[in-house]
Amino acid sequence: MKKLSFWRYVTVAIMLGLIGTSILVQIVRIQNSPEVAGVTGQGAYIYKTFYPARGEIYDRNGYLLAGNKTVYEVGVDLTAIPAAKDAALKMESDIALAAQSTLGMDPATALSRITNAPAGTQYIVLQDYVAPDQADQFMTLQKNDTANPNGPNLSAVDFTAHLMRSYPENDLASTIIGYVTRDNHGYMGVEEKYDNILAGEPVTKLIPADPRQAVDYPKIEPGQTLILTIDRQIQASVEKILDDALVSTGASSGTIIVMDPKTGEILAMTSTPRMNLNDYTQVDQIFPGETPYDRAISEAYEPGSVAKIFTMSAALDNGTVKPGTIFLDTGTITVGGVQIHDWDNGAWGYQDMTGCLANSLNVCLAWVSTKMGNNAFYSYMQRFGLGQLTGIDLAGEVPGREKLPGDGDWSPVELGTNAFGQGVAITPIQMVMAASALANNGQMVYPHVLLAQVRDGHQSNMAPHIVGNPISADTAHTITTMLYNSLKRESSTALLDGYSIAGKTGTAQIPTSTGYDPDNINASFIGWGPIADPRFLVYVWLEKPQSNKAASVVAAPIFKQVIEKLVVFLGISPDQPLAKTAGQ
Amino acid sequence: MENVTQIVQHVRQAHWRVQRQWIGLFLLGLVAAAMVAGIYLNITVRATLAGREIIYLQNHLIDDQRANSDQETILAGLTSVESMQSRAEAMGFKPIDSGTITYIVVPGYVPQTSVDMSQPGADSQGQSQKPVLLPAYTKSLFDWITRTLVTSTSVGGQP
Repeated sequence: MKKLSFWRYVTVAIMLGLIGTSILVQIVRIQNSPEVAGVTGQGAYIYKTFYPARGEIYDRNGYLLAGNKTVYEVGVDLTAIPAAKDAALKMESDIALAAQSTLGMDPATALSRITNAPAGTQYIVLQDYVAPDQADQFMTLQKNDTANPNGPNLSAVDFTAHLMRSYPENDLASTIIGYVTRDNHGYMGVEEKYDNILAGEPVTKLIPADPRQAVDYPKIEPGQTLILTIDRQIQASVEKILDDALVSTGASSGTIIVMDPKTGEILAMTSTPRMNLNDYTQVDQIFPGETPYDRAISEAYEPGSVAKIFTMSAALDNGTVKPGTIFLDTGTITVGGVQIHDWDNGAWGYQDMTGCLANSLNVCLAWVSTKMGNNAFYSYMQRFGLGQLTGIDLAGEVPGREKLPGDGDWSPVELGTNAFGQGVAITPIQMVMAASALANNGQMVYPHVLLAQVRDGHQSNMAPHIVGNPISADTAHTITTMLYNSLKRESSTALLDGYSIAGKTGTAQIPTSTGYDPDNINASFIGWGPIADPRFLVYVWLEKPQSNKAASVVAAPIFKQVIEKLVVFLGISPDQPLAKTAGQ
Repeated sequence: MENVTQIVQHVRQAHWRVQRQWIGLFLLGLVAAAMVAGIYLNITVRATLAGREIIYLQNHLIDDQRANSDQETILAGLTSVESMQSRAEAMGFKPIDSGTITYIVVPGYVPQTSVDMSQPGADSQGQSQKPVLLPAYTKSLFDWITRTLVTSTSVGGQP
């Protein structure tokens, strides 16, 4: 009996032992089987590059200026093409025809790409940046054909979604924003200047195919979001005003800059031509040859009489003249052995300094600069940053040039001509930066378009930056008052009822290789207001206007149109009695 | 006493008892090994499923981010300046003239000059204050025991 019981135990033990052992063996075998390794990719790693989404660009009020949208890369998995020749040929032809009907591709090209792929290639791209609706058509075709075993075979076609840059406002602020090409590189404007932080850091990493190690996947930080100082409403208005002005004046091109003179924030900045950023391939046609992408920062020119405000500011600050200083304008002055005349070749008699500005007298300003002398005059021009880079955070800025005594091509007459803006090459943004000192208590601000960066949900705002104090606050107030009075004295067309504005016109001849162009001028106007607490600084430049050759006629009204919009958008109430009210 | 010694010797000498004990021990070991292997397999399967889930969620996240980008861009297009102006004009609105505005001084009112895109809960370093994973999901058994021991010994240690 005992023997029988013993054998029962042994049999049960052996059976359980065998079952248990076989379970263990099976567990180990499954864990290490090549099938499982194939599924989990055990031990397998692949290099993969993760491209972060490009950061978005907003205007100062949170309106999207540059975003991203989905497009598709349509490709063919060559390993999924059957080995049998007939079946392979049929599939390749099916794919080529489908590419023709959905993507508009030449079927011969599509077929050639598939059949002529280099040996060892596993995947080829048929077409990239395919619009979602086209990709949807192709996917639907693939789905329908898969359901029909006798129909075309498109199972080897892969669709990979990715993002591409999109500009919902099309050409609005295009000269500021710049554009992004298909290689995800930014060109011009903000897109180029901040390309690194917008694009983010692509991360290439060895990725385990084993899903158990999925925690090792890198966290890809998207590009930073940028908020610009631009106000899209002001920008749109300014662009329309400029476009209309080109039509009405016949000017070949134009530039308008609107800046907050206290902070240096560019509220709007435009020039012509502009392009639809969603179609950047037109860039060579729209900007042929040497055409600058953004004239406001990339084209230096002789500004003419608007530069007189810097000469007068320097002379006032230096103590060379006072507002009441009287000058007898005989119509001519000799500087460096060369005679300088007024713009009308007339003699304006006794003038105070406000009169010199109001009547834009070259002779008077040349007298002022010669009275200052080379050292003082050029020292002030350097402090105003004329002929130097402002450092604005946009790609493509040029420095222009202010010749200095001692330079090989400087001549003594230039002390006189530079005083009224001839013989210098200055960009519009330099003019605006320099004028900010006059509008902002002598403090010159750094012009910039970046208001803030947003990263990980935290917004970092840019602080205003003072780049210099070329003149004292008293001088700034004095010159502002003089310019305000001069506009009133001449009943300028730049004035807006109810608002105190300081400003100056500039009518400049255009230098050529053979002297000054007798037929064309540069017309400009720079102004700011309200003068007690300036909220805006506006610069208008029209190149070669045909309707009239005086800036007071072509540029000043454009300035007025701009500030008419500005006071509404910025909510600036009148600081002076309205004419209709005053008349009652 | 002699009887007791005889019984013990008899039991010790029972060969089948010793064998049964060995068999029992073997089976116990086998069951333990099978349990460990089973738990290991279970954990592995769960880790794999979780990994698959993570990959799926990552792909889903990317899809959602892309969809968000699309929607934002579409919305921005629909509310672009050009589009809004044409809609406003179609509804009979006209741009206001600076001379027709009546300004009212509102004491203490400071208009917002720019947008604030900070997200609630983001600190100055830009990191979210809320942890992504609770500690329960990241600390090991050893961490838990250590923390428990430290916590229990430090009770009342603070003045």
